[in-house]
This record gives sequence, C-alpha cells and structure tokens, in this order.
Amino acid sequence: MDEYDEMFRTEDDYDQQFADELEVLAEMEFDTAPPTKRSEFRKQKDDSFQKADRPFKSQSQAEPVRSLGQSEVMSEMCDREDLEQLMADEPITPQAKRSRQDVAKKLFHVSQDGDITPPSSPEEFHQLPSNRAQPVLAALDLSGFADIQESPRRVTSKKCCALKRPPPEGGYISVTDQRGNRVYLRETDDLRGKAVDPSALRSSHNALGLLAVPIEVLREQMEERRHRQVVEESQRLTEILNSQVDEVFGELDDGIREEEDDKEKGESSRLWVDQFSPRHYTELLSDDFTNRCLLKWLKLWDEVVFGRERKPRPPPAERPIPSKNSANQGQGRFNSFSQGQGRFSSANRSQGNFNQANQKFKTKSQITEEILEADLDQYKRPKYKVALLSGPPGLGKTTLAHIIAKHAGYNVVEINASDDRSAELFQKRIDTATQMKSVLGANEKPNCLIIDEIDGAPAAAINILLATLNRKDGHGADSGAESGAELLKKKKKKKESVLLRPIICICNDLYVPALRPLRQQAFLLNFPQTQPARLAQRLAEISRAQGMKADTGTLMALCEKTDNDIRSCINTLQFLHGRGQRQLDVRSVQSMKIGLKDQNKGLFHLWQEIFQLPRIKRKRVGEELEEGLKEGGGAQRLQHILHLASSSGEYDKLTQGLYDNFLLMRVKDPSLGGVCEALDWLGFSDSLSQTMLQGQNFSLMRYLPFPPVAFHFLFAHTHVPRINYPSSQYEALTKTAASRNSLAAMLSDVPACIRTRISEISLSLDILSLLLDIICPKLRPVNPQLFSAREKQQLSDLINTMISYNLSYRQDRTVDGQYVYVLEPRVEAVVCYPGLPPRRQLTYQAKQTISREMEQERLRRADTLMLLRNQHREEQPKVVTSSVKAVTSSVKNHQQRLENILRNTVVEIRPEVDFFGRVVARKEKPRMLSATGELCVEDAMGTAVGNSDVWFRFNEGVSNAVRRNVYIRELL
Amino acid sequence: MSLWVDKYRPTSLGKLDYHKEQASQLKNMVQCGDFPHLLVYGPSGAGKKTRIMCLLRELYGAGVEKLRIEHQTITAPSKKKIEINTIASNYHLEVNPSDAGNSDRVIIQELIKTVAQSQQIQSSTQREFKVVLLTEVDRLTKDAQHALRRTMEKYMSTCRLILCCNSTSKVIGPIRSRCLAIRVPLPSSEEVCSVLSTVCKKEGLLLPAELAKRISEKSGRNLRKALLMCEACRVQQYPFSADQDIPETDWEVYLRETANAIVSQQSPQRLLEVRGRLYELLTHCIPAEIIMKGLVTELLGNCDGQLKAEVTHMAAHYEHRLQLGSKAIYHLEAFTARFMALYKRFMEDGLDAMMF
Repeated sequence: MDEYDEMFRTEDDYDQQFADELEVLAEMEFDTAPPTKRSEFRKQKDDSFQKADRPFKSQSQAEPVRSLGQSEVMSEMCDREDLEQLMADEPITPQAKRSRQDVAKKLFHVSQDGDITPPSSPEEFHQLPSNRAQPVLAALDLSGFADIQESPRRVTSKKCCALKRPPPEGGYISVTDQRGNRVYLRETDDLRGKAVDPSALRSSHNALGLLAVPIEVLREQMEERRHRQVVEESQRLTEILNSQVDEVFGELDDGIREEEDDKEKGESSRLWVDQFSPRHYTELLSDDFTNRCLLKWLKLWDEVVFGRERKPRPPPAERPIPSKNSANQGQGRFNSFSQGQGRFSSANRSQGNFNQANQKFKTKSQITEEILEADLDQYKRPKYKVALLSGPPGLGKTTLAHIIAKHAGYNVVEINASDDRSAELFQKRIDTATQMKSVLGANEKPNCLIIDEIDGAPAAAINILLATLNRKDGHGADSGAESGAELLKKKKKKKESVLLRPIICICNDLYVPALRPLRQQAFLLNFPQTQPARLAQRLAEISRAQGMKADTGTLMALCEKTDNDIRSCINTLQFLHGRGQRQLDVRSVQSMKIGLKDQNKGLFHLWQEIFQLPRIKRKRVGEELEEGLKEGGGAQRLQHILHLASSSGEYDKLTQGLYDNFLLMRVKDPSLGGVCEALDWLGFSDSLSQTMLQGQNFSLMRYLPFPPVAFHFLFAHTHVPRINYPSSQYEALTKTAASRNSLAAMLSDVPACIRTRISEISLSLDILSLLLDIICPKLRPVNPQLFSAREKQQLSDLINTMISYNLSYRQDRTVDGQYVYVLEPRVEAVVCYPGLPPRRQLTYQAKQTISREMEQERLRRADTLMLLRNQHREEQPKVVTSSVKAVTSSVKNHQQRLENILRNTVVEIRPEVDFFGRVVARKEKPRMLSATGELCVEDAMGTAVGNSDVWFRFNEGVSNAVRRNVYIRELL
Repeated sequence: MSLWVDKYRPTSLGKLDYHKEQASQLKNMVQCGDFPHLLVYGPSGAGKKTRIMCLLRELYGAGVEKLRIEHQTITAPSKKKIEINTIASNYHLEVNPSDAGNSDRVIIQELIKTVAQSQQIQSSTQREFKVVLLTEVDRLTKDAQHALRRTMEKYMSTCRLILCCNSTSKVIGPIRSRCLAIRVPLPSSEEVCSVLSTVCKKEGLLLPAELAKRISEKSGRNLRKALLMCEACRVQQYPFSADQDIPETDWEVYLRETANAIVSQQSPQRLLEVRGRLYELLTHCIPAEIIMKGLVTELLGNCDGQLKAEVTHMAAHYEHRLQLGSKAIYHLEAFTARFMALYKRFMEDGLDAMMF
C-alpha cells in the first residue's frame, strides 16, 4: 500500500521487505491514525453545521466550485454528497446525524480501492445510474483514465461472489441494479494475478530481444501503472473532497491547509533541483577539497574587500563536518591530489609564480597551502584574481560558487550565457559588478562576480576580463599603503581603478582556445566527480521528502546512468515523480530513456565500444544489472551502441572509422558474408547522407546511427581492438586534389585549339599516359647538330608536342646535390601507379638537349610572332640578349654616340660677367684665332670622327667598341 | 599541333573519315543556315567534338577556328565568386559547366544569358544566333539541368545550344526532348584501321595491317587512343613490326592487376589490399563508373556463364548505388566483396562437385 507511505512520508527498506505485514498493519492502523487530525475539527463542525438544513449547505458548497469553473470538481462534489447520503442511509432520513469522521473514513476507503462509482442514494435512485455515473466518467476522462478505470471492474464482475455487505477488508466494488438493490463485489488479488497471467506465460526465448525491456515486463509495468494511476486519481479526488470539506468547514484548520497548499504549489512549480539545492556550505555535495580551496581563495580577498586582517589560517568552523563525509575522504584525497598535480604543472608552465618547482612531492594540503598562502600583491589582493572552476555539467559548480560567495559575505552578481556578452556590455557589467555597491536594500554587501559558462564567451570578452585583471592603478604605491576599506571609497572616483572584487569564472571545457590567456592567470580548480554514494544518499533524502520509494541500489544505478550528474539525477527523479511513479526500481532506471546525458565521449572510445564486446561488469550488491545483461544482452547492446552513436553526432567520421578498421578486426567469416553486409550498410549510410544533403531532408538523420550497431553485431569481439584513426578518405581527397591541380595546371596554358579537344577526363584516361610515352623518343646521345634529317624532324616534332601540351623540363636539384630535369607541370604522378614498371625515362643529356632546343624554339616563335605583328612597321630590333643592345638602324651607332658627345662638349658662349655681374669685354685674341680659319680642336675632332666609318674611343668599355644589330633568327 | 591526333584531325564535314552518311545529314541540316538545339552523345574517342567543330565551321566559316581562352568570373547570388575558363570564337562559346562543381547552375544561368541576350549587330553578314557549346552535360547537377530547360526555349532566337556528353542517361528528359539528339557511335575496327594507315601514310610511315588491327582492338575503337597508341608505337620502334607490343594506359594495366588480385584470393586481407588499389585509381582521377566497368569486364573473363549473369546483375546494382551516393569507394568495395563471396562459394561448390 504505497499510498500510505506517501501520505506519511515514511519510507525505508524495511517497508519493502516486510511489505505484506505492513499492509495488514496499515489496514488496521488506517481507521485510527490518519484521519484523526481532521476528524477532530470536523467533529466540532459537525455539531454546529449538521443541524443546518441540507439544501443550504449544498448550495454554499456548489457556488465556490462553480466560480472555479471546474465541472470536474462539481461532479465530484455531488458524488461526495451522494456518499454522505449513502452513509446516512441506514437511518434513512437524510437529516440524520452522522459523525463526520465516518464519512471521511468512508470516502477514503472507497476512493482508495480505485472505485469512485457513486453509490446511488435511496431517494433518487431513478436518476442516479444515468445521471451520476456520467460526470464521473467525464471527469476521469479528462485525466485520461476512463477506460483504465473500467478494466478492474470488468474483471471482478465476472467472477466475484456478490456480498450483501461491504467486506471488512480488501477492495470491493459496489454494484446497484435497477431496482436499487446493492451488492458488494469483493476484489481479490489472485484474480488480478490471473489477468496478467497469459502475458507472463509468454516466454522471452523466442522474442527478438530488440526491446530494452522484455515485453512481459513492460506489460507488467503497464498494469502496475494503470493500477497506480487509478489509485492516484482516487487519491486526488479524495484530496479535493477534503479540501472542499475544509473550505466549508471553516478557518480553524487554516494553518494546516496553507502548509499543504504551499507544499503542493511548490511541488508543481518548482524544480526539485532548486528546491533541494544546498543552502549551506555543509550541504554541498561536491568534493570537500574543492570546496575548501575555493573558500580559502575567497577568504584571501577579505583583507581588501572587508578590510579585515588576514588570519593565519581559515577558521576551522568553515570546514565541512567531517563525520558526514568520512566515508569519502579516501577517494576525495586521491582525486584532489591528482588535481593538485595538474594545478602544479599548469602553474609551472605559466609563470612559475609559485616556487613549487622543487616541491613536487608535497602532499596536496601543502600544495594548496602554497597556492593559497602565497603573498598578497600590492593591493592586498591574492595572486590570482580569478578562480576558474571547470568540470562536466551537473556537478554543482554554479551552486558551489553561489554558496561560497554568500558564505563569505558577498552579494552575488552573476553573468551567464543568457546575457549578452559582447565586448562593450561585458566591460560595463564587469565594471558595474566590481566597482559599484548597492546602497539601498538589504544586501549592502560587496559584490562577488560570478561569470558562468565562460567557455562560450567570445574571445573579446575574455580579453576585457584579462585587461580588468591586469589593470594597474596609477597611484599604486600609496593606494597599496591604504587600507582596503579606504580603497573602497577611493576607487569610485576613478574610472580605471584596479580590480578589488573577487571574480569566479565557471566553465565546462577548460581548454577552449579563448580561455588560454585566462588559464594562466586564474586559480584553476577542477571539479572531480561527485561521489556516487554521497549523491545517492542525497537522492534518497530527496525522494523520501517527496514521497518516492527508491532503494539505494536503484539510486546508485541512476547515478551511474547519469555519470554522477546531480542535476540530471534530480530532474529524472522529479520527472518520474511528476508522471506519478512513486516507486523506483533498478529495471525501470535501466530502461529509462531520460536522464541520459549526451555524453561526448571520444570517437576512439566509440569505435572501441563498437568493436569490442562488453566485458562482464563486476557485480554490485543489490543490483540486477548482471541479470539484465544476460537476459536481453543483444537488446542492451543494441540500445547502448545506438545511444552512443547518436550522442556522438559525428556520423561521418564515425562511419569512416568503421570503414577503415573493420577489415582489420578478427573477422571469423570465411564466406565473407559479414563483410558484404557491412559494406552494404556503409553504402546505405552513404546514400542516406547524400540524400540528406541534397534534399536537405534531415529527418533521415535518425537512421544514421544504425550502421554502427550493425557493425557491432557483425564484428564485435572480446579482444581489445586496435583502432587506427581513419585517414584514408582524407588522404585520398588530398591526393585527388593534387592530381587534379596538376592536370588543371597543364590544361591552363594549352593553346585554345588543343584545349577544346581535351578535357580533364580524357587527359587522365587516354591522353596523358600515351603522351608521356610519345615524348620519350630514342635520341642518339650526340650533339643535335649531328642529327640526321629524320632525327631532326623527330626532335622538332617532339618539341612541338611538348610546347603545345604545355610541358617542359625544368632543371631541379635533388637533395643529394644531383641535377635532374623534371617534367613540369608534374603530371607524371597522375598516371604513375605503384607496382607498375616505371616509365622509360630519357637520359639527363637528352633532356638537357630537349630543354635547350625547346628554349630556342620558344624564342623563335616569339620572334616570328613579333615580326608578324610588326610587319607593317619598320623592322625593329628586339632586346633579346644582354650583349646586344637595341639601336635604331636609321642612325648609325657611332654617329648617334658622337652627336651626344658633341652636344655635351659644345662650348656654350655666354657673356662673361665680373664679380658684380657686369659684362666683361673679352680679349680679342682667341676669337681672332678662330676667325683665322682653323677650327677649334673639338669641333674639328667631331666632324672628323663623324665622317669616318670606323671610330674608336678610348676607355669606354670593350663590348661597346664595335656595335652591330643582330637578330634572334640569325643566332638560332 | 604535332600529335597525330591534332595534326590530322579533319576540319570540315566533307573530310570526315567515317559515319559519312551522318556527316552529310549534318551538312544538309545546316545548309539553310539554321539548326535546332543539338544533343551530341556517344562514347569518348568517337569524334563528337570533331563533328561539332566541323559543323560550326560549315555554319560560320573558317573564323570559327580562331579560338581564344577567356577566364570569366561570375558572382553567384550568394556573393561567391566562381571562376571558369571558356573557349570562344567570334561565333561561339564553349564551356564546361561541370568545372564549377556544385555551382554549375550559376554558370548556366549567367553565362548563357549574357551570351544569348546580346544580339548580333550585323545580322546580314553573320548568323543571327550564336552557338553555346556545353560539354560534359552528363556531369551537370540536376539543378543546372533544370536551369537549362527554360533558358533553351527563352533564348531560342539568339542562341543555339549544342550539348555534348557521353551518355544521355544522366540528362533529364525535358532537355533531351528539347534537343535533336545525335549519336556518334564508335568507328568500326576497319574504320579505325583505315584512319591509322592513312595517317601513317601521310607521315611517310608504313604500318602493317596486323598492327593496325591490334591497335584498334587494344584501344577499344577509341580513335583518339588508337592514334596516340600508334604514335607511341612509332616512338618506341620505327620500322613497325606486326607483333611489337603496344603501349597501354597505365590505369588499365593497374585495373587488370587489381581484378587478378580479386580472383586469385578471397579474404578480408585481400579486400584490404584491393581497397588500397581502388583508392589509388580514384586518386588518379579515374571516374568511379569507369573503374566499375573495367573491373566487371576484367572479372567476367574469369567467370562461368551462369556466374556472369549474376556478377553483371550485382555490378548494375552497385553501380546504381554508386550514382546515388557520394563515396565511391564504399560501393566499389561492396561490389568487390560481393564478388569475392560469390566467387568463393562458386569455387567451393565446384571443388565439392569434383570430389563427389
């Protein structure tokens, strides 16, 4: 009788073990214990109200209900009246006095047996069967239990012997015939058992085992659930009735009712996670060491924030009560030690702020002391201004931060992912939180900023945080001298003041790139897993408080299932509670779909799981997991892999990994059937994803986790598989891209007339391989000048081909210093396959010849092209080699040159001026000389040279001495 | 222009060496100066492009052979820049839209529109339409093909399309129905031989008839391949001998070896080796369909009559899935594994039958 336990909020294992005895006991107890509370006041009411006439009473009852608009309640109320009347039917007169206690008891009794069909009252039995039954059914229908309620009745009406009176114990159903004769049908347990029987007979041997829970169990559960629902519904009705009664019967019991109301409201609106979240430091579930560290760190701020002198060590009162956690100390110690190690290495890496390098093997407490007892900086702040909590979700990081901050006397200001965290706003909020203080209201405490979910914040925001941390006060020295309390006042004056408030950051993933700079400046605290035993204990408390029945094994299973995620556990509990499940057992926890986190386990882990059979788990006391695995092993495995695969989400990579590895497994099928099947699955997944991507039809996504399951059943083995990272696809992709690129490079410079005829495909399929053969003719290793006409023709053909297909030889130097000619672009790789005989290569010399000839041919072509283009113009020399300079042919070289010289040397006749700028009359003598007919020396030289064919000028460089125009065509 | 394939390629419809009847039909078709949209299809190396160019020359004169390569940049509506090379003369534009991969629809829409919307200025001396030549139409995405449908009708007055592809099976029905389909079959073995000997004669070489025959067989009547092979033979050894070995394309050799590996042993380890070889082929830009086809051809040689049908059926099945999916290696390997299983069972059955 679960409902009793719920009612009294008493539940323990004892109950379960001795369920039968308790049942009987409870039955006996029933009449006395529970209603007494109510009955007392009711009795008082009875005296006063019972004498009032009925119509008035019913009127007054009906009205408030109508105003509520709940027809359901209305009908129930009518039922209640009927019941009352029924109860009063022995003395037949409707006004007969009857103790309220009995009525209430009767009500309870009837409703608890799952039958709410109203017994007809004697005075209106004509209408009742039609009139009264319907509203009730409708009311039940609303909650969806109409047909459920019917089933037990049908069963019982078949076989029960009718009783004239209600049976003293056990459930019964009252039946009234048309004439108003009433009989009572006893409900017996074995009947119900029989109804379930056929399903139980169905053996699980021939079942496919695709369900996580065998069908029989499911059926059983369904039956149970139905029963429970009916019971619950009746209980609900009873409650409503009671409340109605209470409402009518006045205010005496106000206090009690309010309390109940509160509780009910709380249950319906609040999450248990909030409701049962720890309120005090001692209630925290997370690891003690972590808690203590954070608290210590926060206490370091006391000096600057509160102006308190720092105590040598934190007061012992702040330590959690050891007796409560004594069981977990050992484990906790280990965890925190490893955590301390991690902390150590990171500190070492960052700046070596603390001289722990030589204290590697200190105990964890010493290390923590080192960190936490380190000197304060000039502003009396701790070395690390920020604490960074990290750990998987649901371990209580946020709760811890809040509680500790409150505990240390701060007012918590939280920024989380739901806030806008763009750089400016972030800055603003940080400044507000760290520099302001609320002056109005009760919480005149300094703020402590908690930045939740910082791993999702943009890098800009984190940089702002860092800038805030590293802010240096202009008057650092004197403000450092001042006490913290004075600082508090002072900092408001300046905008850019130093950070004087603690900041706690919380993240899930410590290694997000954006957090990298912060990591080095933060006091890192890694959250270890919550102890399952502790968690289970808390869960047990909660479930007890909420009237759920669950034993420790079940709760442990729940913890295991959720990976010790407190939030998830409690939410799951509440969900089950909300669905009306009052009893938890291991099986239901195992088969539950909720409460499962999207675990993001690594792909390697996933592949491992797929290719490895699950090992037999070690048995835990009080756990039926073992049984479950043996019984429906296939189904369990299927569900497991399916869940893993679907939670990973990286189907593409996952499938690729399966593909790359499945042939390496120890496959024991000589007929290759499994391999074929696996490949068919792969093909299926491929076409699935293709369809998905093309049609944007992502509803097909749900089928993608099935190939891994198939692989598991095909290839799973007890051995530990060696998994390689799937790189083949990527390698193939890059290789393909490389060969495509070289083909494209080749095609890009092919002349248009050939380009139209070849495409990439034809190149790779037909042309290239043969082309490379064609450009490797046998050439005599002699100077090309000595080639016969035929050979020359062959060579020129070859060069033509190479040029038109954009191939050339380029001299390259190998690593060992040898010079080789390589074909450019490197298309040889595109047609070269490993394992085939290598292509015949030309000798270095032949390649050199070809390369040189090609160079010449290119020049020649360029030359002819130029000539063609400039045909109409005068022939113009081309700049080709460095030794030949461009000179116009019209004017002779030397003349040109000489003209220049002459121009330079021509004496400029300028009137001479004296010091004061007056023109000086020159002496007549030199002019006379020139006038005599002899030319001046320079003039004479110029003309003389200009007239001769050959000229020589001393000291002007050899190459320039004699010049002549040379054309490329003459050189080649 | 020194490869024989390029040097001796006919440039006018009258000079075509084979399918002369079709050539004359084409000539008749363009006689009046106009023609419908064309869909030219046939296996590679049959001379589709040659025929198309001859047709264009017939239509526009020698000016159509003055080609230039243009690099065009087209901005997709999503602001993505797509670069594509086109080959154009004054009269036509050739483009391979599948070069643009998934954005081929944009190419089709933009490029053809710009070409088609520009009217010819002087329609008295020129044709009033330009020709857009789309190659590898069978590699177009469905989107692009649908984009093509309307364009074809809308710009009929200013633009004719010639679509060129290997197989019409991947061209959607609406496009097929809008075009005059012209199939260019492979030349017969004799035709290949005659072309080869003509070319050799022009080169002043003497080609033994047997060698020509062998080349045409080895090339699978792919004329381009045959000519290249012939030239490679010439390079290898000049005075031709009838039984000299003919150079082959490497991938065919490799594929054959792969098929042999499949037949010689059937085990997961061997399958793994074969996977490596298939990957190798794929990375060398060999299309998966061709690998599949080559593999089946090679494997069928090792099969009995009844097995042949089964293997072919299987191949068809996996080829279909290959087209549906995007990771060719899965399907190729699935076919290989299936064949291995089948072949192994067949061999074991045969062994059992022999023992009893």
